[in-house]
Amino acid sequence: MISEGFWLWQFLGRLHPMVVHFPIALLLFGAFLELFTIGKFQSKLRPGINLMVLAGAVSVLIAAVFGLLLATNEAVEGELLDLHRWLGIGSAIFSIGVLYLLNQVGKKKQTEKITAYRAVLFIAAFGVGLSGHFGASLTHGEDFLTETFPWNNSNSYVSGSFDLAAYESGASGLSPEKEMQLIGEVRTVLAHNCYKCHSGAKTEGELRLDEREFVFQGGESGIVISPGNPDESELFRRINLPKNHKDVMPSKGKHLSKEEIDLIGFWIEKGAPWPDGAEQKSVYRVAELAPRKPALPRLSTGLENPIDLWVNAYFEENELKWQAAVDDRTYLRRIYLDVVGLVPSPEELELFTADSNPDKRAVWLRKLFDRNDDYATHWLTFWNDALRNDYTGTGYITNGRYNITDWLYKSLQSNKSYDIFVKELLNPTDASKGFIEGIRWRGTVNASQRTEMQAAQNVGQVILGLNLKCASCHDSFISDWKLEEAYAFANIFADSTLEVSRCEKPIGKLASTRILWEELGEMDSSATRSEKLRQLSEYLVQPANGRMYRTIVNRIWKQMMGRGMVEPVDEMDNEPWSQDLLDWLASDFVENNYDLKELIFLIGTSKIYQSQSSGVKSADLLVAADYTFNGMVRRRMTAEQFSDAVSQVFSPVFEEKDLKYNPSQLLTEQSSNIHFTRASLVANNSFLTALGRPNREIVSTNRDSQASLLQALELTNGERLNTVLQKGAAQWKEKYKDGPIIVEEVYNKALLRKPSKKESEIALAALGNSPDVGQIQDFFWAVILLPEFQLIY
Amino acid sequence: MRNDLNRRDFLKKTSAAAIASMASGAPFAGLMSSCNSKISIPATADTVILLFMAGGMAHTETFDPKKYTPFRKGMQSSEVLSTFPSVPTVLDGIHFSEGLESIGKIMDKGTLIRSYVAADLGHILHTRHQYHWHTCYEPPQSVVVPHLGSWIAKELGPLNPVIPPFINIGQRFTVGEGEELKAFHSAGFLGSEFGPFLIPDPTSGLESVRPPVGMSTKRFESRNQLYENLIKESAMGEFGSDYQKESLKRSMEQAYMLLNSPEAKAFDLTQEPKESYDRYNTGKFGLGCLLAKRLVDQGARFISVTTEYEPFFGWDTHDNGHTRLKDMKKMIDAPIAQLIKDLDESGRLERTMVIVASEFSRDMLTEGRPDLKVLDQVEVPEIIDDMKNYGMHRHFTDGCSVLMFGGGIKKGHVFGKTADERPCKTIENPIKINDLHQTVYHALGIAPDTNYIIEQRPFYTTPDGHGKAEMQLLKG
Repeated sequence: MISEGFWLWQFLGRLHPMVVHFPIALLLFGAFLELFTIGKFQSKLRPGINLMVLAGAVSVLIAAVFGLLLATNEAVEGELLDLHRWLGIGSAIFSIGVLYLLNQVGKKKQTEKITAYRAVLFIAAFGVGLSGHFGASLTHGEDFLTETFPWNNSNSYVSGSFDLAAYESGASGLSPEKEMQLIGEVRTVLAHNCYKCHSGAKTEGELRLDEREFVFQGGESGIVISPGNPDESELFRRINLPKNHKDVMPSKGKHLSKEEIDLIGFWIEKGAPWPDGAEQKSVYRVAELAPRKPALPRLSTGLENPIDLWVNAYFEENELKWQAAVDDRTYLRRIYLDVVGLVPSPEELELFTADSNPDKRAVWLRKLFDRNDDYATHWLTFWNDALRNDYTGTGYITNGRYNITDWLYKSLQSNKSYDIFVKELLNPTDASKGFIEGIRWRGTVNASQRTEMQAAQNVGQVILGLNLKCASCHDSFISDWKLEEAYAFANIFADSTLEVSRCEKPIGKLASTRILWEELGEMDSSATRSEKLRQLSEYLVQPANGRMYRTIVNRIWKQMMGRGMVEPVDEMDNEPWSQDLLDWLASDFVENNYDLKELIFLIGTSKIYQSQSSGVKSADLLVAADYTFNGMVRRRMTAEQFSDAVSQVFSPVFEEKDLKYNPSQLLTEQSSNIHFTRASLVANNSFLTALGRPNREIVSTNRDSQASLLQALELTNGERLNTVLQKGAAQWKEKYKDGPIIVEEVYNKALLRKPSKKESEIALAALGNSPDVGQIQDFFWAVILLPEFQLIY
Repeated sequence: MRNDLNRRDFLKKTSAAAIASMASGAPFAGLMSSCNSKISIPATADTVILLFMAGGMAHTETFDPKKYTPFRKGMQSSEVLSTFPSVPTVLDGIHFSEGLESIGKIMDKGTLIRSYVAADLGHILHTRHQYHWHTCYEPPQSVVVPHLGSWIAKELGPLNPVIPPFINIGQRFTVGEGEELKAFHSAGFLGSEFGPFLIPDPTSGLESVRPPVGMSTKRFESRNQLYENLIKESAMGEFGSDYQKESLKRSMEQAYMLLNSPEAKAFDLTQEPKESYDRYNTGKFGLGCLLAKRLVDQGARFISVTTEYEPFFGWDTHDNGHTRLKDMKKMIDAPIAQLIKDLDESGRLERTMVIVASEFSRDMLTEGRPDLKVLDQVEVPEIIDDMKNYGMHRHFTDGCSVLMFGGGIKKGHVFGKTADERPCKTIENPIKINDLHQTVYHALGIAPDTNYIIEQRPFYTTPDGHGKAEMQLLKG
């Protein structure tokens, strides 16, 4: 590769992007006109076409040569370029063919020659067009066209459009306010696109773009910004390079948008102003800490539940329509799965359908709440994931890990109010200390994984919807949190004062002791650990900490509706699709004594919860920043729900000996009526793992809803499931004997409906009138693998 | 692969290929923005076989022998560097410990590394070092990080659409530290699609890829047919497509395809001719090597075969080191040599990289690094009276041996050196895990800056993309 070629070749090379337009226009249009001459070669168009084809073919050759010069001189490489190059060269060769054949046709008008000429012309025109497309992809980016599609916007940071005209007010320069506003926008672009590699956290090429001093100091290749001269600024040159250029920036992730590039150019042109105090202004979206209770929108007919008023307001604003209400069967199945994690029996469905009380949905939902043990058993799964409890790995060897299952189960069973629940986690007794004690690994670990820092990260993530993982090693490049703030928070969990380490190296400073938000109260840094924990627990659960309550209502909303108002649910600084609903629900939760069941009741009796669900085409659309809410999103059962459903309908998947925690040993006034071993109470095993139960070494607040090959293999030939189904089949054969009855009963129990005529025919064709155990087993298998069995819809 | 494919096989394969390509565009991958690296490296390998010596294989008793001191009552423990005499190898001036003669004979086909330096993670826990070896990340981490095999599966996909791209042979998870073993046998943030396909016992490999026990092929096919017919009629059809439903259907089709494919026979060791079977059969590990060979013949991408980790078993010798190592060497010598020979003869060694490695080494006296005092050391008496104290019973991280063959690795090459006196630590060309992984990625054509944005932070194949491919190991 020649880095500095002869100037003329370089110049001609750069003419390539201009020259290419001739062949594209001439050949394509020539070929287009040629279509009209089919059947009559010597049409009136002929001289014009010939001229156009001649000029087109010659210009293809010129463009190809210039293109080769450009590629040689500008150090661009990559697959796309190869494609473009070979298509371009190919088109050039075909153009020579066109010229030759055109000449031949001119001499003798043979039909074959005409056909050959046309064929080659069409190929050349097509080749030039296609090559042009790839060429454009090279300069504009491959997603230049597709990124405008509404469904192609999955980045949580949407590159903004900037109103540059608004800055052009004063005659001489920008006012101080305008400068501040401009640098704010510029820093936002830098933060979201450059900090990952060019900030205090990570400094590639010795260049930092996070503070004024460093920005103007430049990097290893010198100054990057020349105030007033965008064209002489290395930074501006680099962001303007085509996508596949070896020097282009950002070198990872997305190319900057035209608006962003224009903004940076404009800023440099205006002298790259960077007023004092610019760094104090946040470039990240930061959610409000304080609670807020917006006044409810005006009443609307048929809507009683406040949630629905907010949803209705949102629908009106976004011109969306309410979906139809679901039938009793779907509703009952939803609340059973959401409240107790089980599917209703056909008898229960029959009673429910027959119930003539107009309020029966609310009544039955309340009735489910009375099944305290079943409720606790179901929600244990969610909380075990979030609190990384019921984990059997490392740490247990050296007493560096504590189980909190007993405390957790009892807390759920008694519906402990959420503020007390959090208080007991943060300022724990021996029974609940596992969460903040974390995992004590054998040997030396990263400073950012010491148990105090684990506590800070996990309390941040689970309780506050805050990602402190980045800031626990260095100043964050994804938020405003600083290393020292993370340490000050971690210090609350420490026996003795922590020493601050930046990327594993002590910086010679002791951590202070602070809660993340001063508004919540001042920590006594000289207090004992237990006193600090007491203070922390009091401060965090105050109603003034709106963030904590938004976090929990958002989590419960996601569990029931399939997607949080804010996503991901651990990043509560992201924008909710309805700030009003989130704020209102969090405040209402506080006013109703932090009662989780009441929250579930409120959501469960809303019209929106009772409306038809919808699906999404891909998982990333679910977390897209511009997500539009239109009701419940369908989701897959958890590993526990699925295996409990199989246990309920066919045969128990687990036995009592598999139990890891046995609540029936507790003295309770009303224990469960369920007569099989629930999956959430057994130790993790390969079956549950394959279906998505995490091993809980780290916090997990989201189960993967997507199926995979390894899962499918476990379901297809895994020993556990097949043994269970075989056992069940033997019992069913004994009990029901006849094929038609078995078909009816399976649909009735597993899917809560009658089979259609067609379904009966298919099933009976496989089973026959007196099926054997194997046939029944295979029928069971086919039914439990139906999406209708596995999805919550 | 084979030239005599009949039409049925062909149809099966092409549809399987179509499904695999759909799977690779599966929505989960879309959740993560990947770096489209601008670095393109020509691949010299398509497949990797990792033969893992779990439990800590002493370099001085295997591929880097030092002065031999035979056992005698009343000997000083400080005298002992090696408990076996050395034997010559095919390479001039290079000796192995007695018992590894077969591997010695094939060293002209690969590279011997004598300078691998394991990380210092303090208080020794084998599974923690194994986690580090397989992922490059020191545990604990705040996200679940992927296994080497998962990175390869994610970046390159399956070589043959019906053979899972990451196969793990020989490790049970029901043994001590089972949960710790699970922690790194994971695709982590790359998504479960790229996790290991586990075959704990190579002799029952077929069970993992055949219809359930007691189910005939005919019944298996009709069961699948029934499922397909019912799914078409199911009421969920009215809701249109969504990704959970689609991915479930797609995965089920893939599973059916694998279980019903002719390639599944590769998992069945009883299909191997007796002479060949016997050559490999030194137990589970040897048969694991045979299974690996058979799978490579059918187009596997990444296979790990382990001598299996179980606390205080296998290479994890806390007593009777000398006696037990005799057995360990017997277990690995013939099958490893045979595997290399077979791959070489079939021509597959050209594009298949084989690695023999361990999480760290051992020594009789030094625990951890020479200059660092570590907790819980094995008791070693100053004067040895009992054979059970004769052996390498402490954990040593500062000098370990690694073998590499094929897939672009130099032939008949020796890299690095350890001291001849205690501590027998690396004194030349130290190489660490990040470099070793980058070398493997380089050979496979995976760019060194490959990364994904997880929780808004970039995660690379090695921490922060550190480590460099060691070009001295690769053919120029």
